[in-house]
Amino acid sequence: MQPALDVVVNSFLAAGLYATMAYGLAVIYGVMRIINLAHAGIMMLGAYATFTLFTRFSLDPFLSIVVVVPLFFAGGVALYRTVVRRLPRSGSTPSMESLLLLFGVWLVLQNLAYVLWSGDTQSILTSYTLRSVSLLGVRVGVPALGVFGMSALSLLVLEFVLHRTYLGKAIRAVTQNRDAALLSGVDADRISAVAFGVGTAFAGLAGTLLSTLFAFTPDFGRSFLLKAFCIIVLGGLESVTGVAAGAFVLALLENGTAAFTTLPTSLQDALSFTLLVVTLVVLPQGLPGLFRLVRDRGRG
Amino acid sequence: MLAAAGALYFAPSFLERGTLNDVWSVALAVVLASSWNLLGGFAGQVSIGYSAFLGIGAYTTVLLALRGMSPVLTLPLGALLAAGFSVIIGYPTFRLRGPYFTIATIGVGEAVRVVASSVSFAGGASGLRMPAGSFDFESNFRSMTLLAVALVWIALVVSRSAFGSALAAVKQDIDAAEALGVNSTRLKVTVHALSAALVGLAGGLYAINFQYVSPGSVFDFRLSLTIVLMPIVGGVGTVAGPVLGAILFGWLQLKLLSIPALLNSSLFIYGALLIAVMLFEPKGLLGLVRRLWARRLRRFYVDA
Repeated sequence: MQPALDVVVNSFLAAGLYATMAYGLAVIYGVMRIINLAHAGIMMLGAYATFTLFTRFSLDPFLSIVVVVPLFFAGGVALYRTVVRRLPRSGSTPSMESLLLLFGVWLVLQNLAYVLWSGDTQSILTSYTLRSVSLLGVRVGVPALGVFGMSALSLLVLEFVLHRTYLGKAIRAVTQNRDAALLSGVDADRISAVAFGVGTAFAGLAGTLLSTLFAFTPDFGRSFLLKAFCIIVLGGLESVTGVAAGAFVLALLENGTAAFTTLPTSLQDALSFTLLVVTLVVLPQGLPGLFRLVRDRGRG
Repeated sequence: MLAAAGALYFAPSFLERGTLNDVWSVALAVVLASSWNLLGGFAGQVSIGYSAFLGIGAYTTVLLALRGMSPVLTLPLGALLAAGFSVIIGYPTFRLRGPYFTIATIGVGEAVRVVASSVSFAGGASGLRMPAGSFDFESNFRSMTLLAVALVWIALVVSRSAFGSALAAVKQDIDAAEALGVNSTRLKVTVHALSAALVGLAGGLYAINFQYVSPGSVFDFRLSLTIVLMPIVGGVGTVAGPVLGAILFGWLQLKLLSIPALLNSSLFIYGALLIAVMLFEPKGLLGLVRRLWARRLRRFYVDA
């Protein structure tokens, strides 16, 4: 029983972080149908920014969120205005140009990191990094708890904004049907800028949180990016809960295989990838599609 | 083209080893770029996981050579295995369209690298050495350059054939192509296999040339990235584009290695190139040249 509880609790905690990571990607994709490969680079930058704030100004990583998030939001809007907006829009299907363009941005970010911080592995060690507490009989690290707390908080704020503010409604409208939203008077360009900023801010937040848990190099974001894709495909774009559910499934799968099989953890990337491909092929609509199927089957 | 082949064949007799090495690298680049272009340019399916095929070809050669097989014989086997692998991953991934397919290929490339690093019979993360034996650089050089020329010829033939037209149809509008009776999946898998086989062949030659393979060198993500960048920067979907791109990148690599200040900027340069191409001239260098040339010609007509 203990190992199973272990897996569930750890997955739950990990899911919070994963969901934050995934949401940054989801909002940009939902509003602009752009697959932001630079997301990995932005997360990496977030981790490094936190690192610098920690080493130079002794700012606790969790406190630095207050600095990182607005900074990255502004950066995201700037990136949108200078580069992304100039891309030719290809209608509702994601374009290859945007994919490759943001790929280029990712490379530039990586190089920037190499130049500014060298390729050495860095990590953030605070007074509480190695401490752990007991939760429901399972030992969990203090940083992991903090990360979960922040993630949950950010997702709650997000849920609030999406459903109770005009901005949120506009974002959801553009995600569902861009043309209809335009007809309803939504300034799609401004919303796109905001969405890109939000996506970047979430990526930065995820980067900060990740920096408390893992060591990082400029090459950092790639496997997390893959996980984020996996989660979006699983959870769908329609709601924060969908993303959270997808995040939980992935985390469960990872921790479960680590605990109950002899698969080495280095193969975890292969695992997330397999899940991604399987989901794309079998369940193109993700989990919400599955639920809809079950629900409709039940009705008829 | 025969002239190029002839010149390259006799090159070892009058060029020094250093230059020959550079030419070999460019030839490899041409092979990789042109092969990728078959799937990515002609058929429009962008795959950022091609290092997997290079690696499979390279590892097949080393592993079989270590078990006593003559290196030359391992080459076609490596190509076959690479093609086989491409078919296995092709069927599920080709169900995905556009960028989703690309993401899947990124995942495949990474998965292959991770598996290769973890499996012990493939030498794990530290790689494998070729068995000590007679390594003839000249014949390897000739093989690689011959392959490069052959690739350009293949690209030319495909682009003018019915096969090539079908690929272009799939690239432009896959549903319309299907409606006209083109079996798009079979087409995609076929060109993918051809492309993978050629890259696998190059992989075998690579292994023989460097006498050493490791997951970090042949399954590298950055290599997959470069393989994509070359044809895109040069002119995706054309025959000359990948060659242009390969030469450009070969030159860049050499320049980067010689100017210490730029050594750490390779990612930046690649990234900036990609951004510039996507924003200003998606058709790459070749597209730019054609556009400028057309503009110059137009001026003629207007004046007259």
